[in-house]
Amino acid sequence: MKFRFCGDLDCPDWVLAEISILSKMTSIKMKLLCVQVIKDMLSEGIDYEKVYKITQDAKFEIGDVKASIAALTFILSSAAKYNCDGETVSNELQQLGLPKEHATSLCKSYSDSSDRLQAHLRTTSLRLSHLEKTEWRVDYILSSSELKEVNEPCVQMKLHVRNPDSGTTTPVSFTVDMDKFRILLNELRQAEKMMDNFT
Amino acid sequence: MLLMFEDQHKEHLSFLTQVSPDVVKEFCRISMEFIRKGTNPKIFQGAAQKLNVDVDTVHHGVEGLMYLLTESSKLMLNEIDFQDSIMTLGFDEDTRQTLLEIYLQNRREIRTILSEMTMDLPHYHNLEWRFDVQLASRSLRRQTTPTVLFKLHTEDSGVKDTTILQTDPVNLLHLTKVLDEALQEMKSPYCRRIVRNIK
Repeated sequence: MKFRFCGDLDCPDWVLAEISILSKMTSIKMKLLCVQVIKDMLSEGIDYEKVYKITQDAKFEIGDVKASIAALTFILSSAAKYNCDGETVSNELQQLGLPKEHATSLCKSYSDSSDRLQAHLRTTSLRLSHLEKTEWRVDYILSSSELKEVNEPCVQMKLHVRNPDSGTTTPVSFTVDMDKFRILLNELRQAEKMMDNFT
Repeated sequence: MLLMFEDQHKEHLSFLTQVSPDVVKEFCRISMEFIRKGTNPKIFQGAAQKLNVDVDTVHHGVEGLMYLLTESSKLMLNEIDFQDSIMTLGFDEDTRQTLLEIYLQNRREIRTILSEMTMDLPHYHNLEWRFDVQLASRSLRRQTTPTVLFKLHTEDSGVKDTTILQTDPVNLLHLTKVLDEALQEMKSPYCRRIVRNIK
C-alpha cells in the first residue's frame, strides 16, 4: 500500500501497530497530545507531566506512552517532509484505521503548524559548518627582517566558524596580501552573481 | 560442569566457613551490591569491627564470594553443578542452601551486568544525508553535477563520532544494491541451515 505521507512507500509496521493504541484515547486528548509532540519537534521542550495526565484516562502504560509519542512524531514529521496537505494525511490515516475524529483533529494540528515544522526541518538539515562572523583589518607593512623598506598593505581576516555537532565556534585567521585579496574578492563577487541568477 | 577453585580462592572463602549463616547472607547481599555498583571499602571496616577480624580477611571473603557468583553465572551452572562445586569448600548445610538461593535469584541480573561489559565496536547511531547539485565552480561554469553528502554518526562505548562522506548517485545505487544483497544473504538456504542449528 503506497502512502503519500510516507513518500509513496509502505507505511512502517510499527506505525500500523500504534494506530490501534492511538484510537484508544478520545480525540480531544489526541489533540492535546499532538500539541505537546509538535512542541517537542520544534525543540521547545515537552512537558511530560501534561502527557502523563492526558494518557492517564486511557490507562496507558509507560511503553504505550512512549509508543504513541513516537508514532505521532513519525506521522507529523514525514507529512511535513513530503509536503502533504492536511486532507491527504487525514484520508490516508483513516485508511490505516484511525477513527475519523482522531484523524481530523490530528490533521488540524498538522495544518496549523506545518509551516513552522517545515522551517524548523529546513534549519536542522545537514550542514557541514556555519559562518558566524567575519572580522578584518587592513595593515601596512613598513619593513621586515628580510627587507628594510616593504611598504605594502595587507589584510588580516578572521572567520568564526561554528560546528553544528558540537556547537563550538572556532576562529580561522589568515592574512592576504593586496593582489591575492583582489583576486579573492573578484572570485567571490562572481560566485555571488551566479547565486543571484538562481534565486 | 564443575567449577575448579584455585588455592588462593579457597583460602579466601575458608573465612566464610567459620561464621554463621546469617553473616554469610549479609556478605552475599554486600557482594551483590558491589557487583551492581562497584566496591566500597568503608563497608569492610564496619564489618571487620563487628566480627573482630582483619579488614583484609573481610575484603578477601567478599571478593571470593563475588568471584564465585560471577563465575557460576558466566558458565550458567545448574543447581546440581553449583552444589557439587561448593561441596569441596567445606561449608555447612545451611550456608550451602543460602548460597544456592542467592545464586539462583541473582544469576539473571549478574548475566545482564556481565553482558554490558563486553567489548564494543563503533556502531551505527544516526545517518543524515543531503542531495546537492553543483552548478558552477571557480574553474568551470555552467555544470550540473549531482552529489549526495552523508554525515554518519557512530558511537563507541559512549563516545560519539561523526564521519563525512560524499558520493555520486551511480555509486549510491551500487552501494544500496550491495547492502540489499547482504540482507538477502540471511534468507539463503545456507544461512537458514546454520541459524536453525544454532537455535
